[in-house]
Amino acid sequence: MKFQIEKEVFQDGLNQVQHVVSTRTTLPILSNVLIQADELGLELSTTDLDVTITKRIPAKVAKPGATTLPARRLAGIVRELPAADIDFEVNADNAATVRSGPSFFKILGLPASEFPAIGEFGEAKEFTIDQKLLRDALRKTSYAISTDETRYVLNGVNCLIGEGMLTLVATDGRRLAMVEQDLEFPAGNETGVIIPTKAVNELQRLLDVSGELKVAISDNQASFELNGSLLVTKLIEGNYPNFRQVIPSQANHRVTVEREVLLGAVRRVSLLVNEKTNSIKFAFDDNRLAISANSPEIGEAEESIDVRYDGPRLVVAFNPEFVMAPLRNLDQDEVFIDLIDESSPGVIKIDEPFLYVIMPMRVAG
Amino acid sequence: MHRHSPPDPDKTLYDPPHNPLWSNVVQELRSSLGDKTCDFWFSDFQLVSASSEEVVLMAPGTMYAIWVEENFKNHLLSAFEKHLGGCGRIRFLVDESAGSEKEVAEDPAEETDSREEGATRLVPRVLVERVSEEKLLERGLSAGLVEIYRFENFVPGENSELAWAAARAVADQPGKTYQPLFFHSASGLGKTHLLHGIGWESLRQRPKSKILYVTAEQFANDYIAAIQKNALVAFRKRYREADLLLLDDVQFLGGKDGLQREFFHTFNRLADTRKQIVLASDCPASEIAELEERLVSRFQWGLGVEIHRPGLETRAAILRRKRDDWNLPQVTDEMIDRIVERVRGNVRVLEGALIRVAMAATMSDEPVTPEHIAEAVADICDPEETRQVGVEEIKRTVAEHYDLEVHVIDGRKRTARVAEARQLAMFLVRTLTDLSLVEVASAFGKDHGTVIYAVKKIKKRCEDSAAFKSSVELIKRRLVRCASPAEPTRRGRATGHRGNSRLGVGRRALEVEFD
Repeated sequence: MKFQIEKEVFQDGLNQVQHVVSTRTTLPILSNVLIQADELGLELSTTDLDVTITKRIPAKVAKPGATTLPARRLAGIVRELPAADIDFEVNADNAATVRSGPSFFKILGLPASEFPAIGEFGEAKEFTIDQKLLRDALRKTSYAISTDETRYVLNGVNCLIGEGMLTLVATDGRRLAMVEQDLEFPAGNETGVIIPTKAVNELQRLLDVSGELKVAISDNQASFELNGSLLVTKLIEGNYPNFRQVIPSQANHRVTVEREVLLGAVRRVSLLVNEKTNSIKFAFDDNRLAISANSPEIGEAEESIDVRYDGPRLVVAFNPEFVMAPLRNLDQDEVFIDLIDESSPGVIKIDEPFLYVIMPMRVAG
Repeated sequence: MHRHSPPDPDKTLYDPPHNPLWSNVVQELRSSLGDKTCDFWFSDFQLVSASSEEVVLMAPGTMYAIWVEENFKNHLLSAFEKHLGGCGRIRFLVDESAGSEKEVAEDPAEETDSREEGATRLVPRVLVERVSEEKLLERGLSAGLVEIYRFENFVPGENSELAWAAARAVADQPGKTYQPLFFHSASGLGKTHLLHGIGWESLRQRPKSKILYVTAEQFANDYIAAIQKNALVAFRKRYREADLLLLDDVQFLGGKDGLQREFFHTFNRLADTRKQIVLASDCPASEIAELEERLVSRFQWGLGVEIHRPGLETRAAILRRKRDDWNLPQVTDEMIDRIVERVRGNVRVLEGALIRVAMAATMSDEPVTPEHIAEAVADICDPEETRQVGVEEIKRTVAEHYDLEVHVIDGRKRTARVAEARQLAMFLVRTLTDLSLVEVASAFGKDHGTVIYAVKKIKKRCEDSAAFKSSVELIKRRLVRCASPAEPTRRGRATGHRGNSRLGVGRRALEVEFD
């Protein structure tokens, strides 16, 4: 196998696939990127057995072939190479020589035949959707995914398709983020799947602000094809619990607040977050919101901001990180905070189909 | 799920709706989480089995199970710990059918045989036992009841009609009518009498019921002693297993967080098991300083009744009854009429007046004239109506309190202390005299805006600080020499079960505030 490639192109391609590679794996081959060269260019693939990403990039191929090379190391080398073009040659023993300007590298790889093949993709439902739409929806929900591996059904975004709606939900048991986007799907495509965290993260990396992507969903796998990349993932098996149970049906009070102002204030006050309770206080009062933190051993912080609120004084404690997460991932200037009382779940909303349920912490005493 | 699968013989099986353990735990959760939160998350949970190693709960859905475990696991663990004696872990089962078909039909046949243990205790006892008077008296006294405070010697009047009726209803049917029954009034108007009366009457009707009369201060002392002796279990048993709890001077709980928490649990347990609670306080629950909101709201659940000052006829009736009780035949009806015309204070003040007049009648050989009576009761006549407090007197008293010279109050000095004294003086003049704003202002050489501000400021401080409020009250009391429950009424307080706590607290607060 022999080819010449632009450094920038190679670097970008490797960047898009290398995150799937796990750093500590028992199978050495999973640390490697599969490089396949044909007359059209290169195909780079990485996998962790659950998620596989394949990226097609242009290259001048002199001699087709395939090999695997340590993905991280290769990416590191390519990034540092001094010249704009790279000459690549791999011998029969999977040893690659890399030349670029004055630099020379020899990297030892593993045979392409050892690279695990993507599992059989069963009968699938296929459709296309807007990239930006999916990107935004994932961004607004994915931070709420549970990292608790004992609750594996929550280790992903629940994706529901049907009734003219694309619904994405993520929760970790303390908060829940949901996007309900109007979207007409061809009839017969109704389905509900759980896309695992890693696939969600990789997908977000691949998604662009324009164009469409092709989605195929089978019983146990999903594939996403976009911008010359293909992401195939296993789905989390099991039923996503009925998340509507924990969404409060109605709120008593609505607070309207500027998102960035709130985010900034929470970020500052959270510098003195009480380490024991990991919570900061939100006191809503007649068009004012006072955010305060008080740690006996450290000190205290308070910031007061203008909001629109005409209800009675309400003091609620939240985990600051849980408040900031949605604020960082929304674009709207204004957000609404719907509250029932001090101890019931609060709901953050915007004027688009999004909601975020957050459990208050109990203030001591 | 236990409905569908055969029960595990090693575990105690519970019938959830009637299970005392679960309802205790829920009550516990209510207290720590609040009603709304508790209802939202736990209303459809069921206790499947419980042992010290493991508690199994049935959740109405997976999401409920996850969120409850994530957010309330520690609450559950400690609640079970408390009521079960120990709890290793909590496991959640999920009732998959619950989400879609909520009306899981309760099978009445199953209801009876799966109920066990504590649940059977709910069967009402209708045994009537004949007990001798001595035995009843002994029981009553050991319950903390005072012998003379019985329904028979309570003199109801238009001022206490509602309280009287409520007391009788509660004594007849404890736990079924008003829960809790909350009396409030100024001191010396009969709250304590009614509490004891309910106790005696209840004891007469149900000689075996466990009755407990304590003041909140006693409750506090018991609690502290229990903590010191590491005997909380016995303490809780004593209070939480009472059939009728009569708690006097509830305002004493104000500002004592630990005590409030303990009483809160006591209250919940009793309310939960439908035991009667009767409370008495010198102000409405909502006005007790620094009383937790959850206690305030609980105190307001049932019936709150105020006892007013007795009117002329009632005062006369009370004194006639007292005269007979105390065997003072030398006091005639006419004398009593003279007394009640002049003395309008609370019952203790009335009693004091009666004693004085009786003394006068005994000591002198001449017939007792209205003038004699007037003289005898001169210094205990209702001062608020007979005396108008003067501006200078207020200034002087306030100055004394702040350890200032009077002229400083009128001066221009504006240090925090002086300013506060001046504001307080304005406030008192404004509230205790009939002077108009402008007149008050000119008495202080200020404009009326300053007076308005001062009044507002003092009111605010009273709201913010109970200590400040009580010191203001004290100054006020000194000014109007109002019926302070101290000096002239010793006789009325002869039963001696009530400490001087209220006044003591006020004085201590004053020292903190001004020294």
